[in-house]
Amino acid sequence: MTRYRTIATTPREAAEWSTGRLIRTNLRAIVGRAYPRIVGLAREPSWLFFEIFLPFLAVSAFVFVYRALEAPEEFVGFVVLGGAMTAFWLNVVWMMAAQFYWEKDQGNLELYFTAPMHLMSILAGMAIGGLVLTSSRALAVIGIGSLVYGVTYHVEEPFVLVGVFFLTMVPLYGMGMLLASLFLMWGREGFHLAQLLQEPIYFLGGVNFPLRAIAPVAGVMMAILPLAVGLDAMRQLAFVGSEAQGMLPVGTEALILVAMGVAFLAAARLALGYLEKLARREGRLTLRWQ
Amino acid sequence: MIDRAAVRGVTLADAWRSFRTAIGLGWAVESNWSDPFLFFLYTMAKPLAAAGILVVMFQVITQGRNPEFLQFLIVGSALWNVVFGVMAGLVQSILEDRERYRMIKYVVVTPTSLFPFLLGRSLARVLVSFVAVVLTLVVGVVFLGVDLRPNLLYLVPATLIGVTAVIALGIFMAGWCLQLRQEAWSYPEAIAGALYLVSGAIFPIDVLPAWLHPIAYASPTTWWLEASRRGLLGHGSPGPTGAIPDGLVMIFLLVSTAVVLPLSLAAFAWFIRRARRAGLLDMVTGS
Repeated sequence: MTRYRTIATTPREAAEWSTGRLIRTNLRAIVGRAYPRIVGLAREPSWLFFEIFLPFLAVSAFVFVYRALEAPEEFVGFVVLGGAMTAFWLNVVWMMAAQFYWEKDQGNLELYFTAPMHLMSILAGMAIGGLVLTSSRALAVIGIGSLVYGVTYHVEEPFVLVGVFFLTMVPLYGMGMLLASLFLMWGREGFHLAQLLQEPIYFLGGVNFPLRAIAPVAGVMMAILPLAVGLDAMRQLAFVGSEAQGMLPVGTEALILVAMGVAFLAAARLALGYLEKLARREGRLTLRWQ
Repeated sequence: MIDRAAVRGVTLADAWRSFRTAIGLGWAVESNWSDPFLFFLYTMAKPLAAAGILVVMFQVITQGRNPEFLQFLIVGSALWNVVFGVMAGLVQSILEDRERYRMIKYVVVTPTSLFPFLLGRSLARVLVSFVAVVLTLVVGVVFLGVDLRPNLLYLVPATLIGVTAVIALGIFMAGWCLQLRQEAWSYPEAIAGALYLVSGAIFPIDVLPAWLHPIAYASPTTWWLEASRRGLLGHGSPGPTGAIPDGLVMIFLLVSTAVVLPLSLAAFAWFIRRARRAGLLDMVTGS
């Protein structure tokens, strides 16, 4: 028996939902889409292995490069922190940006379009679930990396550090929401684009070195890539007194992250609106392998 | 009455035809379904960015001193594209044909062998990885002052033997991934990542913990990279490995390849037999 009794006598009346009912339905959609990712934390041990093992391998390779170059030990910490943030970036690229394309292949996308909820709720659920899932992986990479390579952190403002981390996550996953629509429109190119968003972004985002080292390009990245801004701010907060300076003061970078968060979420909403129109007009967004 | 001509088995001509057809198919899948500009960008940006990360790390720490180490980094980073290209190419070809295009069962029942088909199907990715090697080296020479002094008498045999070893490892991986139900797509990256760590691709092996040294010295990829550096740069890696005589490096490469090649082929044959028996050739994991 349905929870929402209706006394509507016409289809138009039935389609007129109260604000409360709309909010509750969308909240349920968010929880429903986040659920499999959170439950997957424990149910997919192979994911656990690969999502910790692969970033750890990459972190290890770069740590050994710094050791071979006899770099100051704080650079090892930079790489470990960068490796942990890589886990979030990979989650955004593969489990946000590429997700709608896969949902289309599996036949779920048409269900999303026809269900009585906003697609933003699905994306928000994906983001929340992905954030929880990936946080466990990132913490494991930081824990194991710090333990194995003896990283020493010097944190004076832990709450600010946590705050900057969450400020980074909003535009990062907002960007994932935007890319989800764009990847779907670009179709089969999506796989190549996802590949393109890995090493080049690690390079441009300063994942393995201080962003200041590529200063002319870093200025552009500070305007468009939340990973670069967030990582630069978090390094300043986690390694206080380090020789390697950040690009901008932490406060300024926090403001940039706030602005990016608003911009990416708004752009994601616009892109979804366009996508929905396209789906209704052309009907090809529900065709597989296109 | 049995028509023996119809069951004569696979001839070289069959294998060659299968190989040739698979090359065309592999190239079509790799390139034709993509915008050419994006395909070019994607193919080139990844290896250049990977090398760029190492170059910036080097510059930040050394301020450009120790150019020999930079050359070591560039050559190792460039050549690693082949290892990853071969492994990912072979594994993804077999998995795509099973999971996505669902063609592998038809290839297996045709009067040819899966082996030449698989080699041909993955060749496009392997060739693209060689283009990435050349491009990275060109960028290294033109913009970063990498001083190439090729010794073809050493480089050509080292490349032939080394690439054979890498293909053998890829064939083993392809057969292995056919057995897996989950996450098979991630295995090439995991194995290539592990080999990257122990093969001295971007740092000398002596930096690794001592317990990893035997694994590093047993891997043909270690000796291939070392031999290729000597063939391209005229000198070996920094550290103890670089002090090993050229002849001995080539012998180590030859011996490790001679061990890996038959083992990989035997393992692949066993994996395919097992896949037939267990019904894994038309399995779709949805992963």
